[in-house]
Amino acid sequence: MTSLFKRFFLIIFINFIDQNLAILFSKLFIIIPLTFLAYSFYVYKSDKNISALEAFSFGFFVDLISDTFFGLNATIYCLVTYFINQNANSFKLFSYLQICLFFGLSASAYVGFTQLITNLYDFSYITLLVSSIVNIIFCFFIALISSYFPQQLNIKL
Amino acid sequence: MARTAPTPGQKISFIMLTLISTLILYLDLTSNNFQNIKNGFKAFKISSFYILKEISIEPIKSIISFTKSKDDLLEENKNLKAALELSYLNNYLVSKENIFYKDKEIIKNAHDKGDYKFAYDVAYLKSIDPNMFICCDKHRMFIEIKGNNDASYNESIVFNSEGILGQIINESKFYEVLLLTDISHSLPIKLKSNKFYCNAKGSGRAEYITCNYNPLIWTEVINESQAVYTSGLGGVYPKDIEIGYVNSIINTNSKETRIEIKLLANPLNGSQFGVLNY
Repeated sequence: MTSLFKRFFLIIFINFIDQNLAILFSKLFIIIPLTFLAYSFYVYKSDKNISALEAFSFGFFVDLISDTFFGLNATIYCLVTYFINQNANSFKLFSYLQICLFFGLSASAYVGFTQLITNLYDFSYITLLVSSIVNIIFCFFIALISSYFPQQLNIKL
Repeated sequence: MARTAPTPGQKISFIMLTLISTLILYLDLTSNNFQNIKNGFKAFKISSFYILKEISIEPIKSIISFTKSKDDLLEENKNLKAALELSYLNNYLVSKENIFYKDKEIIKNAHDKGDYKFAYDVAYLKSIDPNMFICCDKHRMFIEIKGNNDASYNESIVFNSEGILGQIINESKFYEVLLLTDISHSLPIKLKSNKFYCNAKGSGRAEYITCNYNPLIWTEVINESQAVYTSGLGGVYPKDIEIGYVNSIINTNSKETRIEIKLLANPLNGSQFGVLNY
């Protein structure tokens, strides 16, 4: 229970950073979905499969705190959780590059999907393209940091 | 540790919840059914934010602003006090404007032009020994004059908002003021009637000067509480400035009477003075 609360508080905190960064990066056509990436990373790192209910709850909670349409994040979180659960063992065979590409592209898919729902009339391919590149680079960056400073960050990819 | 692939049951639950999510999303997109929940959460978020701010940040801010405002108030108080003392000095001079200066034309011209820039410099107290002032003979005070550094202030009169305090006797970094009550100080005084003149000496006591005279020569009747003025005969102090009143009269013998004069001005009252420059 405590662990669940901890995760919820962490999600709130990351979402807070996410929203503040979004204001900063939006002028550069960049969207980095930090909350989504953090959740994906949590599912990826977990020793056991994340249940559908947990994915739905997290998604719904993110919908609530980020003031988007209900069900948007819930749907994506359910899908990505299922996908990571399905391929959890396969990921162990992949290189850092492939994993980074996967997370970067899934973040891009998230951006595309959310943009389609929330911003259909002003859908921007530039934003999608730039965000994809930046998200992949961002994942590389995180992977590099975790490789060079594994103890400090306690992240194992 | 290897993770097991999702079981058919898990797959079904994922599909079910994904469908439910999609349905919720569709409902939210097409209707305003969830608006109340969103508004409620927003209200909760705003309230929580304000409560947290009230608990955590506001006390710190109030402490900071309290200390800051306290410092500001102290500074403001200091400035106001200085301005008030300065206005008192001006008022004192205005009240004595017809007689204070040796050169009455200065005042007359200022009055005619409506330009009341009185020719005195402001000085601030640097040191005075109150114990020495109360107990002993040597009554001196050191002041710093904020004015023209090239000007000579030797023998200049020092006054405060209550009256004349003494004269400058020594010029160095700070100016030494010989107070009226110093036993080496001598002040020519008179009564308003101009029928009595005397050299009043410092008594060595705070606020008092004494005057010895021969009653056979000066036959004017002197009463207690009678006002005493400067005579202007010494060449240092201007004439007709009220300096105090007769406090007591002691007939020492048939040829000598001593009057004790209580001064109006006390150097311990205030730290701002005026120094007349002629």
